[in-house]
Amino acid sequence: MCGIAGYWEKSGSGDTPLGNTLLQMITALGCRGPDSTGVAMYQSKRPGTWTARVKLGDSGDLPARATQISRAAASVGGQDFSRVDAYLRFSLDKQEDPKPLLGRIESVARDVEVVSLGNSLEIVKQVGSPANLESTFSISRFRGSHGIAHTRLSTESVVDLSHSQPFWAHGRPDLAIVHNGHITNYHQLRRRYEQHGVRFYTENDSEIVAIYIAERLNEGGGLQTALTRMLADLDGSYSCLAATESEFGFVRDPFALKPLCFTETGDFVAIATEEIAIRAALDGDYAVRETQAKEVRVWRR
Amino acid sequence: MAEIDAAGRTTREINAAIRLAIATGSSEIVVRNPGARHNLGVALLEPVKLKIAGSVGYYCGGLGDGASIEVEGSAGWGLAESMMSGLVRVHSHAGSGAAAALRGGAVVIHGDAAARLGVSMKGGDVVVVGDCGYMAGFMAQKGTLIVCGNAGEAFADSMYATVCYVGGKIASLGTDAVLSEMEEGETERLDRTLETYLGSGRPAAADFRKVVAGRKLWNFDKREWRIWQEAL
Repeated sequence: MCGIAGYWEKSGSGDTPLGNTLLQMITALGCRGPDSTGVAMYQSKRPGTWTARVKLGDSGDLPARATQISRAAASVGGQDFSRVDAYLRFSLDKQEDPKPLLGRIESVARDVEVVSLGNSLEIVKQVGSPANLESTFSISRFRGSHGIAHTRLSTESVVDLSHSQPFWAHGRPDLAIVHNGHITNYHQLRRRYEQHGVRFYTENDSEIVAIYIAERLNEGGGLQTALTRMLADLDGSYSCLAATESEFGFVRDPFALKPLCFTETGDFVAIATEEIAIRAALDGDYAVRETQAKEVRVWRR
Repeated sequence: MAEIDAAGRTTREINAAIRLAIATGSSEIVVRNPGARHNLGVALLEPVKLKIAGSVGYYCGGLGDGASIEVEGSAGWGLAESMMSGLVRVHSHAGSGAAAALRGGAVVIHGDAAARLGVSMKGGDVVVVGDCGYMAGFMAQKGTLIVCGNAGEAFADSMYATVCYVGGKIASLGTDAVLSEMEEGETERLDRTLETYLGSGRPAAADFRKVVAGRKLWNFDKREWRIWQEAL
């Protein structure tokens, strides 16, 4: 069991209490997965810039690690550095290809990982409950246009920050996913990706969802195409949410094994594993419907 | 009429308040601010009217025997699962596994039903005004399953003696599910059933198609190995 949730504000003003909405949703789902919690939040920022969030390591002298990584990032234009807990955050001008930047930062140590990168995306995740996430990062203060969230019950891989969700698709700025379920052809697909030089950061089967969708988007299709093709290529159970700076959507596996319900009003779209999360966060007179097997819906602006 | 405010209370406290209201003689109970909580109104054995002013989570009305439950919002998984008798009416949508293993009484859903509607039902009436999802009626044994809108894939798969009626399109029939002609007087009986649960706003019974088991899976016959391969 895991819990997933998503919120999309339709006007695109980018100034809703997004962090608070996601926190309330994920808190209501907290009992579905006590291992770790995370959110991916999107906020309009100055075009042509990126915000990076870097995991400094699993243990050890993190402030020293922050200094070391800041120096490496500054050499490629990084600025406005700030550190909270195990994260270093900084901004830089958008670059043609993020790979040199990632290589530079992640070569500092094996347990350093760029957790998210993009013009509007920021991911915050860690081991522990939604309340812990709030007390460490004050996510309820974050304002933005849309976002996705996850609370995890680990079944197959270890519990640590990197194995938590949401997953950023490393190398594809602004794409994030959350997944509830099991991808049963994970090992087969992973071998194929690794033969093509894709680096996997975790043993978590959900990571492959992000890699798969990034690959589809890199081919030039939109999120609708990516999520629809996923139904043919990924086996197992999955209720997934995916978001980019301009799109937001869900896919439900052909057997409808994992729950997922949503509501759409004139102002917003809210999606969650259980309706209890939507009711906890959003007042109003709206109807919630469980999604059907193979259902794919995408909203864009 | 007893009123119970669910806000700030645990599920156990809400259900205890419902039972206390019944024990002290209330025959009509309203639960406000349910917030889509799970396990509300489970195993009620008295003929009371319980109205839930909002949405419910999983298993609402499950194991009931005689109560009449009205949900003004949506319902989550396992609505009225294994209900023996009584009525559960949901004004919006229902989640997966609604009316699963239903034994008797009626489940009426005014919106859509998600996957696995009425699986393994052993009696009673299920009426969905909207559409139903994948695998409705799987291994259903007795009773009546009515879908006024469209039915999802693998409809009525591997059934025993449940009779299904569909008003809209059927995405695909399941293994051993077959379309069947209405018998003499059957359209009138269907109309009376629809009238009982939906009143004057009911759809026309003449527009429904009937789906029953083809009975190929009722007894094993190795000459029909192919259909068994598909079914298993």
